[in-house]
Amino acid sequence: MTAPLLPLLVVLPFMAAALSVMVRAQSVQRVLLLGTPAAVTVAGVLLLLEHRTETVLAHNVGAFAPGVAIPLVSDSFSALMITVTSFTTLVTMVFLIQTGEDRYRFVPALALLMTAGVNGAFLTGDLFNLFVFIEVMLLPSYALIAVTGTWRRLGIGRLFVVVNLLTSTILLVGVGLVYAAAGTVNLAQLVGRAGEDPAVALAVSVVLLALGIKSGVVPAHGWLPRTYPATSAGVMALFSAVHSKVALYAIYRIYSTTYDGQAAWAPVLAVIVGLTILVGAYSTFGEHIMRRALAWQMISGVGHILLGLALFTEFSLAAGIFYMIHHIITMGALILTSGAIEQTYGSGRYERLAGLARRDPWVAAVYAFALLSLIGLPPSSGFFGKVGLMQASASAGAWQAWTFITIVSVAALGSLIAMQKLWSGVFWGPQMENYRPDSPRTGRGRRVPLPKTVHIGWRLAAPGAFLAVVQLAMFFFAGAIIPIALDASANLTELQPYVEAVLR
Amino acid sequence: VISVLPITIGVLVAGAVYLMLQRGMVRIIFGLALLSHAANLLLLTTGVSAWRGEPLGDRLDPATAADPLPQAFVLTAIVITLAVTVYMLALAVIGHNDDTKRMPETGEFHDR
Repeated sequence: MTAPLLPLLVVLPFMAAALSVMVRAQSVQRVLLLGTPAAVTVAGVLLLLEHRTETVLAHNVGAFAPGVAIPLVSDSFSALMITVTSFTTLVTMVFLIQTGEDRYRFVPALALLMTAGVNGAFLTGDLFNLFVFIEVMLLPSYALIAVTGTWRRLGIGRLFVVVNLLTSTILLVGVGLVYAAAGTVNLAQLVGRAGEDPAVALAVSVVLLALGIKSGVVPAHGWLPRTYPATSAGVMALFSAVHSKVALYAIYRIYSTTYDGQAAWAPVLAVIVGLTILVGAYSTFGEHIMRRALAWQMISGVGHILLGLALFTEFSLAAGIFYMIHHIITMGALILTSGAIEQTYGSGRYERLAGLARRDPWVAAVYAFALLSLIGLPPSSGFFGKVGLMQASASAGAWQAWTFITIVSVAALGSLIAMQKLWSGVFWGPQMENYRPDSPRTGRGRRVPLPKTVHIGWRLAAPGAFLAVVQLAMFFFAGAIIPIALDASANLTELQPYVEAVLR
Repeated sequence: VISVLPITIGVLVAGAVYLMLQRGMVRIIFGLALLSHAANLLLLTTGVSAWRGEPLGDRLDPATAADPLPQAFVLTAIVITLAVTVYMLALAVIGHNDDTKRMPETGEFHDR
């Protein structure tokens, strides 16, 4: 009975975005900016509760005949993703308000439009609609990435637009090929089709190629660490929480639905996954700016998440999904805390920052816990994330066990050493003597002596700290979250309820 | 006659790739426009391979009417590409010539 309410998750952010353009009052805009993701988070939790009894909820928009209609489908996997991404979005919005970025023209509307596209991409059961919703998500981000209009962000904005438009076109070509080969783009009607027909398998792999570039897997990862750190920390946190995760969600969904089990090119996927994990982890060494290092860690995280798909057992899918949730929250904590440091001291470079452990001990503690989580040391959500992936590799087969456990451990070691470089550069060492506070005219001002009274404000540090506490809670209450991840992976391996709900 | 569309798509993609490998932003935009035309033609080929009649008037029988779905796909794709092309042209203009020449004087500091 809640199924007809599913379109609201897309419509509500759209309406809020329209309202925020019309009403320029600060209070109204803030209520919309915070209220919409909060409402979506609540809706996601309610959906998760509903999916305990009802496995799949589907609504055919416009009540057309099943198979002709464009369905919106919700199961544990999509509900979990909606809950986690909108929760992280909510925390990021708080950060955007603290830095004052929400006062730039149209930023609330653009951010809300983006969440509409994200929710739609999670819910849709139709490949062409997936393309449309990904475009709805990307169009506002093209503007968000260049929102303050400095030349550096403009140049990066061009790279971002060109890469994403190119991949969107590849995605569109893939969807067209799927329609040509299978005669439908409805996921429920595509179940197992790629496993039977090589032509469909090839067409679906074009779709997956485009989604792979969008999520940043290794041979096509170069755009991500170059574009994301060039925006502000708040916008980067927003992008890291939703963009690559929507692509990864779609890869999980389409791969496990259309191929009957593993694809014929599964060994290629295994190689790509291994390379992504290692290249991301070891490229972090070359960076001297906090958020650039984190962007490389995001690449490594994409590899870890896709490892669940490369192994393709019910348990490995659950481990991959758990890692995805952990990664969204931990990355949010790290990026937002780095943003608080940059906002206060005017730089994110290791050599410009020093001695923050003594100057801002609480921020340093938050950063330390989030770094533990990124590397996978207890107590943190990353510990269970990596344990899950290793356990899944061990139970998948002989060569997978050896290869992937080695790759994950070697990558964790590399990340640990690279992050120690960040830690000793930013948090240890003698006290800083000067800093660059923001100048109202040109953005970043000149270097001036640093007074003793300047510290990172608690309001600025709170969003990142909150996410760090949430990932810590994921360590202590992992017993409550792992069953949800197992439910979500069951949605990907047992497709009968999905088909029945959509084509009923 | 059957091979007209595939050959056109191939030529468009080749031109698009050539233009996108250039340095100037405007050329890249033209390349992306060509690529999107190629994608739209490819979408059309999925529906009109039999060159059936338009679904109007007395030709509503599914056996003889053209498939409307790819045409809806193309329409949506055209709208999206047009919007992004206009936005990219704006980006190409307001960034001065920083894709081909030196960065503009904006009054910001770029020390390392």
